[in-house]
Amino acid sequence: MSGSQAVLELDRVEYSYRRNTALRGVSLQLKPGEVVAVTGASGCGKSTLLHCAAGILTPDAGTIQVDGQDVAALREEERARLRRTKVGIVLQFGQLVPDLPLIDNVALPLLLDGHERGEAHLSAMNWLEQVGIADDADAVPTELSGGQTQRAAVARALVTGPSVVLADEPTGSLDSQGGQELLDVLLQAARYRGAALLMVTHDNLVASSADREIRLRDGLIQHEVSL
Amino acid sequence: MATAELVLGLLSGGPAHGYDVKRGHDAWFPDSRPLAFGQVYTTLGRLERDGLVEVVDKTSGGGPDRTVYALTSKGRDHLTDWLNDPVPPAWGSADEVLRKLVAAVRTGGDAAGFLARQRANHLRRIRELRETPADDDPTSPLVREYIVAHLDADLRWLDTALDRISEQRGTRS
Ligand SMILES: Nc1ncnc2c1ncn2[C@@H]1O[C@H](COP(=O)(O)OP(=O)(O)OP(=O)(O)O)[C@@H](O)[C@H]1O
Ligand SMILES: [Mg+2]
Repeated sequence: MSGSQAVLELDRVEYSYRRNTALRGVSLQLKPGEVVAVTGASGCGKSTLLHCAAGILTPDAGTIQVDGQDVAALREEERARLRRTKVGIVLQFGQLVPDLPLIDNVALPLLLDGHERGEAHLSAMNWLEQVGIADDADAVPTELSGGQTQRAAVARALVTGPSVVLADEPTGSLDSQGGQELLDVLLQAARYRGAALLMVTHDNLVASSADREIRLRDGLIQHEVSL
Repeated sequence: MATAELVLGLLSGGPAHGYDVKRGHDAWFPDSRPLAFGQVYTTLGRLERDGLVEVVDKTSGGGPDRTVYALTSKGRDHLTDWLNDPVPPAWGSADEVLRKLVAAVRTGGDAAGFLARQRANHLRRIRELRETPADDDPTSPLVREYIVAHLDADLRWLDTALDRISEQRGTRS
């Protein structure tokens, strides 16, 4: 299989926690602009897969390529930089800095990447508007609802214009209206900016907007279907 | 109508009398209306005419209930195609999905593959419905939301069915 076109490529990735084997050889490829839904029962390895793709976990075996670069072959700083600039991540459970105002939370990846403060805040504000929480820019995450936090996490994932967006249950804390709005923001990143979007979801309505469904079972791909 | 294909499925284990076919059907679907003898014989007659089943034994002097039918190779191909083919998602389509699933499991067909394709069909239909632009008709969003909610319920059942089938496969092997 030629991975030349894929912006994210996992090849036979395996991962075990101390006692649990969570991934038993998972391979997948995402092209720019592609939207893939990862589904499957609780505990089948969805979050582990996402964390490996994001570089939060290091696989026991197999390779991961982002934009054609083998993540394992990079030095630590290069890897961190690749993750910061090319990959946007929305985690299932909180990832915002708890006592940092939302605007700063969202601006953080840009600031870490050396962007000027005013410019970073302007972009952050723009993204907070897109996800519908511009009014909460000065609030800190501990003062917010789960849904508001989720919106902020999406803003933070997209603020750098990543080529790969990884999202774990991105609409899990929202009602159907709010979930649809946030999903639309994520889908636009794929459809208009050409980001590859890999999202874990239990929600069939969310999965229905994907180009492909990958269903995991017990650490393996059970099926992969085009939608 | 699926009765013809179910009859083919019921014959896939080997030649049988119409009576066995009826009994088999009622055992596969204990919660649905029993298959009437009349329907079994008209169905078998039509299948024979179309070359999907053939008469392999006719006990002398017996009536139709003494006739033994068997699947032809054309009939077996037709059954396989039917079992592999997902159902167009529409009102009441879950009944047909269940019929196919039961028949696939009972005849050793590719039930998991069928369920995967069915999931894809349902998900695509949901996307179509959700992408349909609003019009002036005040009832059309109500109808669309109703269908989406039912397709969503079907999908949750398809998901459970996939897990159950994989479990059963796991314990059998
Ligand atoms: N930190 C951990 N330590 C040990 N085992 C873990 C850890 N995180 C996950 N696991 C185990 O690894 C397996 C896969 O977990 P994972 O979180 O990837 O599942 P999931 O598909 O995301 O489930 P859910 O739908 O509930 O979020 C499970 O058996 C889980 O118990
Ligand atoms: Mg998870």
